[in-house]
Amino acid sequence: MIKLDFTEFLNSISLWRIWVRLGVQDVRLRFRRSAIGLWWIFLNLAAMILAIGFVYSNLLGQDLREFIPFLTVGIITWGYITSSIVEGSSAFISSEGYIKQISLPIYVYAFRYFVSISLTTLISFTAFGVVVALYSVPIHAGTLWVVPGAFLLMSVSLLLIFIFAFLNTRFRDVAHLATVAMQVLFYLSPVLYPPELLRQRGVGIVIDLNPLSHLLETIRHPLLSGEPATPTNYQVVILSIVILILGVVLVIRRYRRRIVYYL
Amino acid sequence: MAMITLRDVDVEFTVDAEQRSLQGKLAGLLQRRRTVVRSIKALQSISLTIQAGERVGLIGPNGAGKSTLLKTIAGIYPPRKGKTQVAGHICPLFEFATGFEMEATGWDNIRTRALLLGMSAGEIDAKIEEIGRFSGLGDFLEMPVRCYSSGMLLRLAFSTSTAVNPQILLLDEVMAAGDAAFIGSARKRMNELMQRANIVVFATHSLNTLPDFCERTILLDKGHILADGPTREIVRQYMSLVATADQHA
Repeated sequence: MIKLDFTEFLNSISLWRIWVRLGVQDVRLRFRRSAIGLWWIFLNLAAMILAIGFVYSNLLGQDLREFIPFLTVGIITWGYITSSIVEGSSAFISSEGYIKQISLPIYVYAFRYFVSISLTTLISFTAFGVVVALYSVPIHAGTLWVVPGAFLLMSVSLLLIFIFAFLNTRFRDVAHLATVAMQVLFYLSPVLYPPELLRQRGVGIVIDLNPLSHLLETIRHPLLSGEPATPTNYQVVILSIVILILGVVLVIRRYRRRIVYYL
Repeated sequence: MAMITLRDVDVEFTVDAEQRSLQGKLAGLLQRRRTVVRSIKALQSISLTIQAGERVGLIGPNGAGKSTLLKTIAGIYPPRKGKTQVAGHICPLFEFATGFEMEATGWDNIRTRALLLGMSAGEIDAKIEEIGRFSGLGDFLEMPVRCYSSGMLLRLAFSTSTAVNPQILLLDEVMAAGDAAFIGSARKRMNELMQRANIVVFATHSLNTLPDFCERTILLDKGHILADGPTREIVRQYMSLVATADQHA
């Protein structure tokens, strides 16, 4: 039987004032003293979408009206997952000053990163609103199917932050390895191209076996079509979440008590 | 009721970081060679009990384990062996300078720090004026702390940290903060803080003032408790320890 001490975890949640404040502060401070501040998030996104949108819509013979909204949701969602892994890896390392001086449960700093990463994503998501207006993407009641998708996506993000924060503090190569892996996965996941294109060529297996493509669908499909994603999509994502939870339990059991010594 | 109990506690630090890296593990697998990982035994079989109402000084040479002991009590270093039991909210004041966000204003930093030290939002609202006033920083509080001198940073940190109402207060090197004008009021404020706390444990090198602060002192050396008892006696013992060390040198 796996015995876990949840009190420390619950205690961390009850300290939400601290990690919400630190997380929000991280986002604010990242853009303080910059002339256009938070607009950098939009600018970054807009530049990517314009460039990729122009090239790929021509390359893949896609209609811009459909391709741009598709691309926007995909890139924002992908960015969320990537930063959960890559930035989340440094959650404990960059909080070393706090961890070694103040006796707060260490999970507080994972939640801190969850707040800053999620908030950044939320801000960039308003860009989708612009796209909706420009390309008159239909918005109706069915669009609300994005809510369960968003819930799943956020759970994945939080769990990834926990796993990688612990692993990377222990093995500093993990963040680099994960960056490479995410770059490879980016091309194996239907972010830049519609999944049907691969299916038509008979290599749909690449996306069917890729849990990230299922996760993408739970967000993208409701937003673009106003319908829920397929049951398979949800099942794969929930199964992945169960596996991630096991992963979190494992890293906590193994490294929780030693983590401060690895800093 | 606040209380601290340590039973047979060992704390150990690993020195060779590269042995713990993935690379080190892989290399170890390939070479089939077991390298010994060096470690420092920072605390060895420490047992102690501190009851509510006690004020305890920690003395000993550099590297004796004073700070490590405080951090172990604070729960920052989980011991390798043994048990720590602490009843009561702990407020650790180890280094006044951590937890500053350089781009944030003085007021913002007071809030963050106060939250981190366990103050509630209401408590902060009630105290923030007083903290700002005590810091004596005036209009500087509206500016990002990167504009502050190191003395001003210390004032800000000191004013905030000493505004808490701790059950258990852990202090590392009770330090004098700021310029001559500030030191006097700082000392008074620190004394008030120590009066408010139910238990105070502090590591210090200033042996002269120690008997004024506490009736009990623990002498640490090389991770062991050498002596634990009435302050004057323990200080005398420490002095003679230092003296013999000098003779041998």
